[in-house]
Amino acid sequence: MKLIFEKSVKGRDGYSLPQDLFDDIKIEECLPEYAISKDKKILSEVSEVDVVRHFTKLSKLNYGLDDGFYPLGSCTMKYNPKINEKLASLNNFTYAHPLAPEETVQGSLEIIYDLNKLLCEITGMDEYTMAPAAGAHGELTGNLIMRKYFVDRGDKRHKMLIPDSAHGTNPASAAMADFQVVEVKSNERGTVDLTELAKLMDEDTVGLMLTNPNTVGLYDEGIKDIEKIVHHKGGLLYYDGANLNASLGIIRPGDAGFDVVHLNLHKTFSTPHGGGGPGAGVIGVKKDLIPYLPTPIVAFDSTNKKYYLLDVGSKSIGMVRAFWANFPVLVKTYVWILSMGPDGLYNASETSIINANYVLAKLKKYYKPAYDRYCGHECTVTGKEYKKYGVKTLDISKRLMDYGMHPPTIYFPHFEPYAEETIMVEPPESESKEMLDKFIEIMIKISNEAKTNPELLTTAPHNTPIRRTNDLVAAKRPILTYDDELKLKDELKYQDKNIDF
Amino acid sequence: MRYIPNTEEQKKEMLKEIGVSSFDDLIKEGVPQSIRLKGNLNIPEAISETELEEKIYNIAQKNSNFYLMKPLIGAGAYRHYIPEAEKFLLQREEFWTCYTPYQPELSQGTLQSIFEYQSYISRLIKMDAVIPSIYDGASATAEAALMSLRLTHKNKIIVSNLLHPHYRETVKTYLAPHEPEIIELPYKNGLVDIEKLKILIEEDVASVIIQNPNFFGGIEKLAEISEIVHSKGALLIMVIAESISLGILKAPGDIGADIVTGNAQSFGMDLNYGGPYNAYLATKKEYIRQLPGRIIGETTDVDGKRVFVMTLRAREQDIRREKATSNICTNHNLNVIAADIFLSLIGTEGLYQISLLNTKSAHYLENLLLKSKKFEKIFNYPFYNEFLLKSKEDISTINKKLLENNFIPPLKICEFYKEENLKNVLLFAVTEVLSRDNLNKVAKILSE
Ligand SMILES: Cc1ncc(COP(=O)(O)O)c(C=O)c1O
Repeated sequence: MKLIFEKSVKGRDGYSLPQDLFDDIKIEECLPEYAISKDKKILSEVSEVDVVRHFTKLSKLNYGLDDGFYPLGSCTMKYNPKINEKLASLNNFTYAHPLAPEETVQGSLEIIYDLNKLLCEITGMDEYTMAPAAGAHGELTGNLIMRKYFVDRGDKRHKMLIPDSAHGTNPASAAMADFQVVEVKSNERGTVDLTELAKLMDEDTVGLMLTNPNTVGLYDEGIKDIEKIVHHKGGLLYYDGANLNASLGIIRPGDAGFDVVHLNLHKTFSTPHGGGGPGAGVIGVKKDLIPYLPTPIVAFDSTNKKYYLLDVGSKSIGMVRAFWANFPVLVKTYVWILSMGPDGLYNASETSIINANYVLAKLKKYYKPAYDRYCGHECTVTGKEYKKYGVKTLDISKRLMDYGMHPPTIYFPHFEPYAEETIMVEPPESESKEMLDKFIEIMIKISNEAKTNPELLTTAPHNTPIRRTNDLVAAKRPILTYDDELKLKDELKYQDKNIDF
Repeated sequence: MRYIPNTEEQKKEMLKEIGVSSFDDLIKEGVPQSIRLKGNLNIPEAISETELEEKIYNIAQKNSNFYLMKPLIGAGAYRHYIPEAEKFLLQREEFWTCYTPYQPELSQGTLQSIFEYQSYISRLIKMDAVIPSIYDGASATAEAALMSLRLTHKNKIIVSNLLHPHYRETVKTYLAPHEPEIIELPYKNGLVDIEKLKILIEEDVASVIIQNPNFFGGIEKLAEISEIVHSKGALLIMVIAESISLGILKAPGDIGADIVTGNAQSFGMDLNYGGPYNAYLATKKEYIRQLPGRIIGETTDVDGKRVFVMTLRAREQDIRREKATSNICTNHNLNVIAADIFLSLIGTEGLYQISLLNTKSAHYLENLLLKSKKFEKIFNYPFYNEFLLKSKEDISTINKKLLENNFIPPLKICEFYKEENLKNVLLFAVTEVLSRDNLNKVAKILSE
């Protein structure tokens, strides 16, 4: 499809300017010559109609959650309720300036304050910061909190234990806090090996970052022992809450002994993923760690009945962003919790766990599970067996697209010898049994195709807007802007019959 | 529950197929009874959609009616007009509900839009490679600072005291574990103190971070600064908090910036009480491998079509884990699409004109206020659309009057700067949402 630049026509515009352009004031009298750009910066020149058609057409090249099944493991692609969007976009919220006087933003502050209380109850924690913009941002915040906590005690711990099944952001976040990452191997059941953990956990170790259920979809049944081992050596327990959708109303990380928790509101709490964000990665802590939270937090002055931004104090790790939070994400989360209630939350986790186990039960004859046991809200199977037909997990996932479905997460988690060629399926509570049956049927069909007509898979997808991409060329000769492309015009010979519009 | 299609009957059927007698049976192995939550979560019972709507409307009423309140404040968050076409397009579920474009065959819409945005930003700031999305200006600046430590293998940075205070705080927070030396570069007469910079700059400095226009709205002498910074082999990190200014101001890449970070909120993003906004982080070709975050590149598919994919991935956390250049994963891609639509709508001429208009109307207001004799300049510096004035009246009284007249008052600069001469000083911001009538009214209110 054409780029917006290729639709540009000199003299066209798509914007209406105010009538009064203050022509009585001369720009030369406002700005020194050294500051002003000599040439106009060239963007594009298109009309509003052009823009609307362009982006409508672009949108149709995407596959969204409202289009159908989207079982991306570890991402909790659950339905995004429409009422959430409406209520988060009320003018009184969206036009609120972050530095407007506190008396003008009492509504916004009330939502932040109330949501904090709800999240504390749901997870068994004592206080939340709403600042982190995403899960990884929360992980960094959490790591910095733990770091400061030990520094203040004169305790020079510098190692962080992270299971091999952990998401890549976990080790990357720990490294940003300048911790040395120590990998904990999974046992033959796919969970943390307690003997190994006991060996690794020492007094130089900050603690353990754990996802529960982990990214293979398995609960760490030894959680009580894990807690003891880590706390016994004075360490802290960090909970990666990306998988909280398996725990609502069932088990609270706070009760299980976790000291720091991050939640991905864009996963468990139904807020949309926006093609890769924005989300929110709020962090909850236990009492002892509250003084270390990023500043400020929202507090309530019960005498004057006013909400206000409270400076956390001298122990705070400081700010991790400008201003306070990804506010609309908080509104959507708040609305979702209120529309679910305690029974709804439990139902969400119960249903998603049943969904995942149902898929696992039906698929395991065709795709070997990474571990043959019941799972949480997602299940991990592998495409290993099809290698002998020349078919990889990648090919299976691409073939799924031909049947109108978004593929699951592939090649993550990855660790040998269990989790190779992985296919991680997360069918959240918003997916019906009929949808799962359809998915299962297609997956079985693909497994047959793999044996009888492998080429159908290795050349898939066939009916998507574009087909497999040449990623190596993209990395070797980076074309990162339209101007880069223009420089290479003669070399690049695109075959796109549909390039007109 | 309307968001959960499976009925109790279906769930039972599925449990049977799984081979267990009940849900408890299914999870008893993974979640030992001893740690299961006893009883229900203690949160309010579910309410219906109508009740919900009423409840949230009522809470929203506790905010001021912000739509009608024109801001005289910026300080890193600017109200600009957002074309309705953008808001409308952005709501398409294909953009809203999908996730990170790992599967390019199903995500060309998102990928192409981000690529267009990278192209726009690259032209505006004259840098080769643009990371389209870090969470916000503050975190992007912190990432840039970290990047400069990696690039130079040095551990000292100089930060302008006129970098947005939240950005400064965030840089400190992010860098704390690496225990770098962070030196604050003071200001003089509303701009960074260049003589002081000459003294502070040494061979062991990794980078110098300068915001332009600075927090007071002042326009820095970047060419001079760049020369000083580079004379000792340090990197110049330029920060833009108000990206609309790029319509008229020189491109950072043309004045020697090595890394540029910019808050893109002004490109079509609501104020939203502080977020989500978006920030770009850009650099020159030679530093690409140290960039944090995701970037989109152009290539072909097997049919030879031009297509877009996530590229240069070998820097990222999902591949490199603890050796990654950053931990960033989910970013603010939807805001990137918003900005792409916004920039497409306003186009070459629109951006230039808005930028011009913001400069002019800010100077118009400054002039009116000075004429009223109720204010005086404390610094004599060139500014873009924000400026400082010292009030002769108590600023709290002034701000109350403005609030009563439906203006969000300017920032009391003493909230961030404790200097004696900044007491009773306001930081005003003006954008195109304030008409001449509005500005005349402000001047009138404040001269009474
Ligand atoms: C298990 C796990 N942890 C952490 C993250 C990071 O969260 P985010 O992408 O919001 O930064 C993710 C998802 O991306 C995840 O699946």
